[in-house]
Amino acid sequence: MQRVLLIGDGARENAFASALSYLRLYALSSFINPGIKKIVDSSGGKYYIGDINSQEFVKKVKDDVNPDFAIIGPEDPLFHGISDVFYQEGIPVIGASSKNSMIEKSKTWMRQLMWKYGIPGRLRFKAFSSIEDAAKFIMEYGGSVAVKPSEQVGGKGVKVVADLQAYLSQEKRLALSKSVDKIGELVSDKVKVIVEERVDGPEYTQHVLTDGQSYLPLPLAQDYKHAYQDGIGPETGGMGSISGPSSLLPFITEEEYEDTFDIVRQTAKAVERETGEKYKGFISGQMMLTDLWGPTVIEYYSRMGDPETSAIIPRIKNFGEVLIRAAEGHLNKVKPEVVETSSVVWVVSPLGYPLDRTIARGKRIFVDVKKIEDFGCQVFFGSTSLEGGQIITQGSRALELVALGDYNEAVKKLERCVSFVGSETRLIYRTDIGKSIDDMIEKAEIIRYSYKKRKSKGTLGISADWSPNGGMW
Amino acid sequence: MAGISGILAFDKVWNVNKFLKYSLIGLQHRGYNFTGVAVYNEGKIESKTYNESPEDAEVSYDGWAGIGYSGSRKGYPVKVGGIAYVVDGVLKENPEEFAKDLLKDPERALENAKGVFNLIALTENEKIIAYRDKFGLRPLFLGGFGFDLGIVSSESSGINVIGGDTKREINPGEMVVLERFNVESKQLRVERKATCSIEYIYQSRIDGILEKSQIYDVRIRIGEELAKEWPISADTVVGVPDTALPFAIGYSRKLGLRVDLGFTRTGSPIRTMIAGDNFLKVVGVQLKLNPIRSAFFGKRIVLIDDSMVTGTTLKNTVFNLRKMGAKEIHILIGSPKLVRPCPYGVEVPSESDLIAANLKDEDIAKVIGADSIHWLSIDGLFRSIGNKDLCYGCMGGIYPG
Ligand SMILES: Nc1ncnc2c1ncn2[C@@H]1O[C@H](COP(=O)(O)OP(=O)(O)OP(=O)(O)O)[C@@H](O)[C@H]1O
Ligand code: SF4
Repeated sequence: MQRVLLIGDGARENAFASALSYLRLYALSSFINPGIKKIVDSSGGKYYIGDINSQEFVKKVKDDVNPDFAIIGPEDPLFHGISDVFYQEGIPVIGASSKNSMIEKSKTWMRQLMWKYGIPGRLRFKAFSSIEDAAKFIMEYGGSVAVKPSEQVGGKGVKVVADLQAYLSQEKRLALSKSVDKIGELVSDKVKVIVEERVDGPEYTQHVLTDGQSYLPLPLAQDYKHAYQDGIGPETGGMGSISGPSSLLPFITEEEYEDTFDIVRQTAKAVERETGEKYKGFISGQMMLTDLWGPTVIEYYSRMGDPETSAIIPRIKNFGEVLIRAAEGHLNKVKPEVVETSSVVWVVSPLGYPLDRTIARGKRIFVDVKKIEDFGCQVFFGSTSLEGGQIITQGSRALELVALGDYNEAVKKLERCVSFVGSETRLIYRTDIGKSIDDMIEKAEIIRYSYKKRKSKGTLGISADWSPNGGMW
Repeated sequence: MAGISGILAFDKVWNVNKFLKYSLIGLQHRGYNFTGVAVYNEGKIESKTYNESPEDAEVSYDGWAGIGYSGSRKGYPVKVGGIAYVVDGVLKENPEEFAKDLLKDPERALENAKGVFNLIALTENEKIIAYRDKFGLRPLFLGGFGFDLGIVSSESSGINVIGGDTKREINPGEMVVLERFNVESKQLRVERKATCSIEYIYQSRIDGILEKSQIYDVRIRIGEELAKEWPISADTVVGVPDTALPFAIGYSRKLGLRVDLGFTRTGSPIRTMIAGDNFLKVVGVQLKLNPIRSAFFGKRIVLIDDSMVTGTTLKNTVFNLRKMGAKEIHILIGSPKLVRPCPYGVEVPSESDLIAANLKDEDIAKVIGADSIHWLSIDGLFRSIGNKDLCYGCMGGIYPG
């Protein structure tokens, strides 16, 4: 029986745990995740609670467990060099090195890298160390933009503004320039804010697992970013996801899948050239299909996405083995067994998420896991801790429900199962996830026509904005 | 008739005031004699009514949530204590009492309210409440702008003009509550769906959608139906701007008959849009249309209009066209005959004023001076729209309730 150490505390890690439950599972979280705990207990492992970003603490746990391999779920431990602890001691691990995780940590570094290496799917951007300069740029220059913290800060701070009506341009740019203060506050780096051209189209994520030699693209998934029903409301880490059927999504073609894989691979190679370290672990392209490029990079993860993971893992029968092989450096020896059936994930959050986590924190929730499973869904626990037999919200997304089946069928199951989750606070979840597939197919068709046209004319990726004040950029 | 909108920012850095104004301009075709807004800021609501169109109204209140009205009735928003609301349709309740009930318990107030109406309310506890009438007579849409604004509006034009994305139609009898921490919806009543036919024929904006149909496509199909029902041998077909233009295009396509632009306008387009406070004004509006001689001279004409009330305008138009040398003038109307008033707030005049309710077809043709005159049939209307979940009470059909 192999011993595996899993680091992290969210629904993604709960999903990892479920794929590894046939091993002896040891886990390290910052609170007791009820879903992870259950699997740790039943597999005869041990659950450690503490600072998952502390190298020292992780070392201690590692010495205690003496694992055959380790897997690191979230990005923060990667940024803090937790994977390096394992690399240094030659323990197989799934997790990008801290240097390589820069591809996620710094959006500026990522964009610069793409331009330096001429990787397709890159967007025009400007990076600002001074908030005033950013605000000034936004007021003076033209065009629809996305304004972001220059660092990965976990699904907040991004503003996307379509500036297509001259009569409201000033209003929109004023609100944007006011909000850069707050965006800048989220960032510790010297470069605070980046402004990129806004693009439009259906989004999808391609996760690629690599052992430094071979690259394995997983089935695509789509993440839903808006907090509230019907795709309205503030940015979140993701309120649900879909995956399938097979390795694609209904609105992405085989060719686009391959092109995306190319982009991600080229990026991993470019990262290696810059850092001098083999890229190992996950590198995931959060993509958008746009008329500018076709597959276009919105950002990279140096790990798996959450809630995409919950949609993908239940669709790969031998995912545990895939992870082990990758950690050992024999990824080419395993073929993932992807089931044809698609999946839908609904995230359940406490009221207050994502705008005011103090409202969302400390609330009891009740989950009838057995009923949920009886009705054909799986539950992965997220930001909830087990405290004295109660499940208590930690302020972020509380849990994820997964259903397999064609989209309509999966949605029906979820509608049923979500009624077995209750709370002393109001719960927020999006019942529209898994439903608007046809609209996306239609949108993608129009976009496909345009970018193919660009491709044949040799104008992929070429764009500019101009205003009388700022000039061209 | 009215257009109503509500906008709420999830991030308080936004000032919705200009967004409201432009959203209302996007609804101006539904009526524009009065404008009203209510804006929430720092714990209180400020509201104001203007005796002018949204275009002319200087909306000066700042805040991160607000509602607005553009329409033919004075008095909106109604503001009482901690709540303000606007209505499209007919609310048969005491406005002040209703406001209090609405603030106390919106679900109950809306469930029990008499009348058929769409409503958008703004409350001091930082909510926008939107409700679509139980039959879905009038349209109401939900949309968003980036990660920052939630929007409700009578038509998709009220969302799209501010750069927002229209997400869906609110269902008949559904209440949607927008607040910073959630967008929640609840089905309060379920009734037979009966969308107002007039919305399809001329009320909704031509770039809009209704019950998943594109308004433009429906209007093209109305022209095609007219061609099937009344194929007239003529030299050209002309639509009366703006609403009847797609009818003429559909008619032309079906019969392979050439189509001409027959009129130009005196005065600003937005003001002559078919949207006044009553049908008689609508008719008056057409007087601002000036025929183009070479489109009509020496030709046999099919002239298509969207409706006929007293017939006075059409009579004038026919007279003018004859003077310009039109050889034959055949009139087609892109709606079934209007024979009864509308109890739901669309200003159809009383029966005594409606020519089609009083005269036989041959007599109408005589009065108008046209060679012939025909209306779209009720079945033709159903076929054009693609379903029968309609109100067509004013055309002699059943009123939904
Ligand atoms: N250039 C752009 N054009 C249009 N939309 C964009 C752009 N950049 C970002 N977005 C939108 O904003 C969302 C969040 O952006 P991004 O992924 O860069 O931020 P994040 O906070 O790092 O998110 P995550 O939680 O995925 O890590 C994207 O999913 C996309 O919907
Ligand atoms: S009576 Fe006529 S105008 Fe009134 S709602 Fe019904 S169809 Fe519309």
